[in-house]
Amino acid sequence: MIEVKNLVRTFNSGDKTIKPVNDVSFELAQGTLASIVGKSGSGKSTLLSLLGALDKPTSGDVVVNGVSLAGMPDSKLTEYRRRDIGFVFQQFNLIPNLSAVDNVMLPMEFAGIRKAARRERARGLLEQVQLDPEKHVRRINRLSGGEQQRVAIARALANAPRLILADEPTGNLDEQTGGHIIELLSSLSRDHNTTILVVTHDRSLANKTERRFRLQQGRLTEEPARTRATAASPA
Amino acid sequence: MNVLARSVGNAFRNKVRTAAVVAVLAVAIGLALSMLVANQAVAGKVAELNASVGTVLTVNPAGGQGFEGGGEPLTAVQAATAAAVPNVSTVVGTKALRLRNAAAAAAQAAAGQGGRGGPGGQSATTVTTSLTAAVDAGTLGNRNQASSGTTGTGTSGGAATPAAPAFSLPITATGVGAEVDAAGKALELTQGTGLGDYNAASAGALLGTTLAEKNGLAVGSTFTINDQTFTVAGLFDAGTAFGNNALYLTLPAAQTLAALPGELSTLIVTVNSMENVDAAKTALQAALGSDKADVSQGQRNLQTAVSSLGSVKNISFIAFVAALGTAGLIILLIMVMLVRERRREIGVLKAIGAPNRTVGLQFVLEALVLVALGSVVGAAVASFASGGIATALISSNTTSAAAAGGAGTGQRGAGGGAGFPGGGFPGGQGNPFGGANQLLTSVTASASPGVIAAGIAAVFGVAIIGALVPALLTARIRPIEVLRGE
Repeated sequence: MIEVKNLVRTFNSGDKTIKPVNDVSFELAQGTLASIVGKSGSGKSTLLSLLGALDKPTSGDVVVNGVSLAGMPDSKLTEYRRRDIGFVFQQFNLIPNLSAVDNVMLPMEFAGIRKAARRERARGLLEQVQLDPEKHVRRINRLSGGEQQRVAIARALANAPRLILADEPTGNLDEQTGGHIIELLSSLSRDHNTTILVVTHDRSLANKTERRFRLQQGRLTEEPARTRATAASPA
Repeated sequence: MNVLARSVGNAFRNKVRTAAVVAVLAVAIGLALSMLVANQAVAGKVAELNASVGTVLTVNPAGGQGFEGGGEPLTAVQAATAAAVPNVSTVVGTKALRLRNAAAAAAQAAAGQGGRGGPGGQSATTVTTSLTAAVDAGTLGNRNQASSGTTGTGTSGGAATPAAPAFSLPITATGVGAEVDAAGKALELTQGTGLGDYNAASAGALLGTTLAEKNGLAVGSTFTINDQTFTVAGLFDAGTAFGNNALYLTLPAAQTLAALPGELSTLIVTVNSMENVDAAKTALQAALGSDKADVSQGQRNLQTAVSSLGSVKNISFIAFVAALGTAGLIILLIMVMLVRERRREIGVLKAIGAPNRTVGLQFVLEALVLVALGSVVGAAVASFASGGIATALISSNTTSAAAAGGAGTGQRGAGGGAGFPGGGFPGGQGNPFGGANQLLTSVTASASPGVIAAGIAAVFGVAIIGALVPALLTARIRPIEVLRGE
């Protein structure tokens, strides 16, 4: 369960104060596949960074399974990101000089998992995201965009997080590859009971999620609820 | 892949840049190591000089010096008196002889030439040897021979002999009470062994390398002095052609050959520390009596050399520190650049749960990989360049000392030339330290593994400090950087 309470984030730009996240509140049950849509600059990524503890809110709170992030020290926030959060970024953000399997092993290394165990799990995750086994040891820069995004999703799953935050996960992919990625996220949510929150400006992608939110000028509104069955059908 | 493997991989991420960084680091580290090697070599030389020569006083008969002057000879009783003076650690007596080649001496005698008697307290009896001097008389030797006024004053007692036989230089034989040269400096034996107990009669001798070579002698060969057979026990290298045209015997053997048992030419007195030299000199002069003995302080002439070497030591140390600092600065700047360049990647690592210490450690290790590569190349550079750099440092910083050394050398030549008809003998106090120039150039800088290891340890220490700053910078990078540009 994730609870967002009156979340506000402001930035100062010269004389102006920008408020990309303005009094946002919502709740997500465990295992939900949800999306936030909005135009570029509407504050989607800022909201995601607050939920993932990449940034700190100006006010408000994020409560994950009853634990408040407000006032949590940096070391605890790092632990929270490592243990409870998986990130999938639009530009993948993989470490370019490492292989696919090494990239997936990274979060497990930070979590103190032994090398043999993390290698075995990394290979399993790469198989789960359907990356060709012969590409497991390839360097990231020798993989296609879709393959890199699969590796990024595998990395997000590395420590079995309860929440996956995906920022424009199909933004750099063609339509077909993007469709595969959404199917993959949907199946992960279903199979692993993982809460997945996807930020996108792609309406067709948002229509495939159970809950849809719209962010406009920092304010969040929810669109009519859909069941997982209807979400899976064409909008 | 752990943090170390990741750091090594990162160090080679851009091979061209890595090569450039390693090259620059290698120059700085190589320079630092060369300076350290030079510093250690000079420090070692200074310590050696201070320990072996800098605390030495030389006692000559009052009014006499070497084979010159007059006065009363020194005795074993005076040696005992000197040994009782406070702060005196050792007293070594010497007895100097001048040996003439037996055949040349006979020919000169037949031609009416004769040497002056009583050199340095030696008896008028000519001490002859089967050895031939390793140094040719040359212009200086013949000029000294002529200026000694002996030509034409031989047994014929009248007109000069028009066809004088070729003049042969004498050889200095010194009886010593310990394994030191006439200056009190430890003999550098290149072959063979010493003479054992230097205060016991012995038929062994130590020959200068060139003297042995001239006469075709090796360790175990024999030669004669006054028809007494001596065996070559060892060869020494005095570092000069003049010094190597000499031989050393035990003190009693030399006294016996001179037929002057108990008499000494000089006393070599070693004081327990440099700080006590002046006081010991005064006390020694008072104990022996100024009318009986002249006490001279070789350290005075050496001070210029030691001072110059000390200057080189300081300069090389400063240069070492500067080069070390440069290496640290290079690492700092490179790593700051890399941290700035990889802000987003650092943000990624933090976003996926990397603690600050892990990210910082990764950058420190990456810096150390670069330093390790630079150290390997730098050590190779240092092993080739350190000798040349040390020589250049010494030669460029010891001009004044060299001039002083040249003066000292002149003093020695004058003393020798005015003595026995010949090319010149060691002239007492001027002898050991007149060659400051020689002392300076005798510093050999070799890149020993210990010094290189110590230098590299220092480099790594500085590199860690240099890498810590950018590593700490990584702690200030927030994970939100991962979203920059998205």
